[in-house]
Amino acid sequence: MIRKRIVKDKLAHGVMLAMTLLSIVFVVVMAVGLYVKSAPVLENRSLWSLISSSQWKPMKGEFGFLPFIVGSLWVTFLAILISFPISLLTAVYLTEYARPVVRKFVFPALDILAALPSVIYGVWGMLVIVPWISDKVARHFVDFSSGYTVLAAGIVLGVMVIPLLVSLFIEVFSSVPAELREASLSLGATRWQTAKKVVLRKTLAGMLAATVLAISRAMGETIAVLMVCGCVIGIPSNILEPCYPIPALIANNYGEMLSMPLYESALMFAALILFVVVLVFNLLSRIILYRIERSEA
Amino acid sequence: MKVSRSKRTEEILFKVLMWIAMGIVFGFVISVIWTVFSRGAKAMSWDMITKLPGGGFYIGKEGGFLNAIVGSLYIVGASTILGLLVSIPVVFFLNVYLKKDSRLAYVARLAFDVLFGMPSIVYGAFGFTIMIFFGLRTSLLGGIIVITLLIIPIFIRSMDEATRNFPRDILDASYALGATRWETLKVVVRQIAPGIATATLLSIGRAIGDAASVMFTAGYTDSIPTSLSQPAATLPLAVFFQLSSPIPEVQDRAYAAALVLTIIVLLLSISGRFITNRFSKNKL
Amino acid sequence: MAIEIQNLNVHIKDNHILKNINLTLPEKQITCIIGPSGCGKSTLLRTLNRLIDSTEGVRLEGKVLVDGADIIGSGAEITELRRRIGLVSQRPCPLPMSIFDNVAYGCRINKMYKRHKALIYAVQKNLKAVGLWEEVRGRVRTPAARLSIGQQQRLCLARSLAVEPQYILADEATSALDPISSKTVEDLFVSLKNDYTIIMVTHTLRQALRIADNVVFMYLGEIVESGPAEQVFHNPQQELTQKYLSGAFS
Repeated sequence: MIRKRIVKDKLAHGVMLAMTLLSIVFVVVMAVGLYVKSAPVLENRSLWSLISSSQWKPMKGEFGFLPFIVGSLWVTFLAILISFPISLLTAVYLTEYARPVVRKFVFPALDILAALPSVIYGVWGMLVIVPWISDKVARHFVDFSSGYTVLAAGIVLGVMVIPLLVSLFIEVFSSVPAELREASLSLGATRWQTAKKVVLRKTLAGMLAATVLAISRAMGETIAVLMVCGCVIGIPSNILEPCYPIPALIANNYGEMLSMPLYESALMFAALILFVVVLVFNLLSRIILYRIERSEA
Repeated sequence: MKVSRSKRTEEILFKVLMWIAMGIVFGFVISVIWTVFSRGAKAMSWDMITKLPGGGFYIGKEGGFLNAIVGSLYIVGASTILGLLVSIPVVFFLNVYLKKDSRLAYVARLAFDVLFGMPSIVYGAFGFTIMIFFGLRTSLLGGIIVITLLIIPIFIRSMDEATRNFPRDILDASYALGATRWETLKVVVRQIAPGIATATLLSIGRAIGDAASVMFTAGYTDSIPTSLSQPAATLPLAVFFQLSSPIPEVQDRAYAAALVLTIIVLLLSISGRFITNRFSKNKL
Repeated sequence: MAIEIQNLNVHIKDNHILKNINLTLPEKQITCIIGPSGCGKSTLLRTLNRLIDSTEGVRLEGKVLVDGADIIGSGAEITELRRRIGLVSQRPCPLPMSIFDNVAYGCRINKMYKRHKALIYAVQKNLKAVGLWEEVRGRVRTPAARLSIGQQQRLCLARSLAVEPQYILADEATSALDPISSKTVEDLFVSLKNDYTIIMVTHTLRQALRIADNVVFMYLGEIVESGPAEQVFHNPQQELTQKYLSGAFS
């Protein structure tokens, strides 16, 4: 009877260990899988020519990823530019001023933003942001814009990133001990001075990590961006031009790629780029955040 | 006193900026919700959610998107169950079998963080290659597998969070009674039940709203799949595909589908908050 | 003048933490607040510089007159009040910056000096006042966290002194220190009482016995007895005080 129970325990241990290990291995399998699939295009072209060329003609076997990379960078940069100040100020208010009443309203609002699916943001972007840009914004700068632009994608992505950024900032700011704030306050500092000179200063590394995480989230966002970015291949020269970020490229071409092995391989290479960027960014920032969490404990 | 005034001006300035920032956040929330509801309500009808696409549906003839609703439910239901089956043991293993400063736990948590951050389009692309490797076509099964993979890290991360604050005394009490660690699982599961519930709601929300991964793997169809090897439609893709149609009637259906999706997701989010509030109160 | 507390009541959510406090804290003396843990000593201290405001669900009633001006009402300029009332907390908490910047922090916040030289002089002066100057000379630009705990506590005191307060609140300021550092800090307080009004919460009766001019004994949010140290220690009027002093409870 006792032996049976112990064997059961051992067995469970083995199974659970295997499951945990499998999930670690899964990351590696994913990397290898994507690499193997993108190997043909990597063998045909040098890595440098793939990412530095702007010629995208799959029919002729030319795969220059520059327009897509630049598109991704533009959109991500804009998204962070929009979401960073909003998220930072919101998080500072919630942790440093924090009247319970305000929290009661702001947290559910952030919850909703976090819960809405990408495609809903896409719908919102098409119905609200795109017409706004083409009717109100663009005509001050250019003759005509459809509204499907870098700016539209940046705004939509920015909104999507806000809840993530706020919650990470709050987590980071809460790691600052209350005594430190009190020390500053008791010297006659205002709350904002305390936030600026003590809290933000102490959490620079954590804020950086949070922002890097937000960047990697923004880079991989697909459907919402796809719906408002315009999907025109070319390097945008300003934010009122359309663009074509990497995820949109993959999503838009999955149907036709089957017939051409090299084309499929090129799209898998695009996925590999995303994978590597997200992997590196996530590892870096998570390790920083873990350190912070540990030093706190 | 002049000093004090400049200090106060800065304080007020930034306080105003913070209020503006929060106002903007509210503005976004209201704008998104209002847009989806007002546009969706106009297009909504009983037929939309009870009928399959009829002949000529895509040129504006009658029908609904029941196929997408059912497809989404199939995929989400199956992957939630599969996801739970995998993640509960893993979370338990990380928190009970392994020591607090275990290297394996650290690496595993990092791995889940990375998987959590992985864009769904990468899951989709990877899942698609795997399916081709095994000779599978776009199918319900493919969608289930990919969505399961997608939500496992979400499950594990949020349950892990709930379990980490779990009082160790209860474990010790269980061991002291002679229970093995495996038998202690039951105690733990009961204790973190609200954590599991919120994690589940969160995962369902993500699973039902994700489009980029199922696009590759589940495909799209006008009928309700009757076996695992048939393709399945999903709500987000119903929105996405129909919105790209030039015909206003078809676009209207996209808005109606968006409304249905939003309502589902909002309900999940609200009940998630309700559970955490209620149970955290009971814990005190 | 000093500090006069009239009918002060503090509620936190549904708990009545301080009940009808009436107390005068005389100028340029050391007043020690004693009493068992949870009696409201720290709350009283935190009310004096309004740090209590950051506690959720707090409600203040009554009057606290600092140099004749009420600090409880909404009209009070709290940051100026906090500049005038320094705080040394239980555990030393240097700000995440260099030794110099720690001491200079309050001066900069309050824009006390226009010229950098004057600031350097002020930092030096205050580090000397707490006897830290000789020890940290030549490394004032290194992070304050590298100092020993005892040194850190003196640094915190120097930091408080640098904003030229009139009052110093000390919340069990020596309890986290080793005996030698503890003695050093204690002596510092005694030497400071010529220039500052010091209000000290302490857990060790011996310490109060050594340095207090006045003693306030609190129990369950009320003041049981207060007066000159001599009288409270050697001739307590209340039975409860006698019991506490004899170690019947703590």
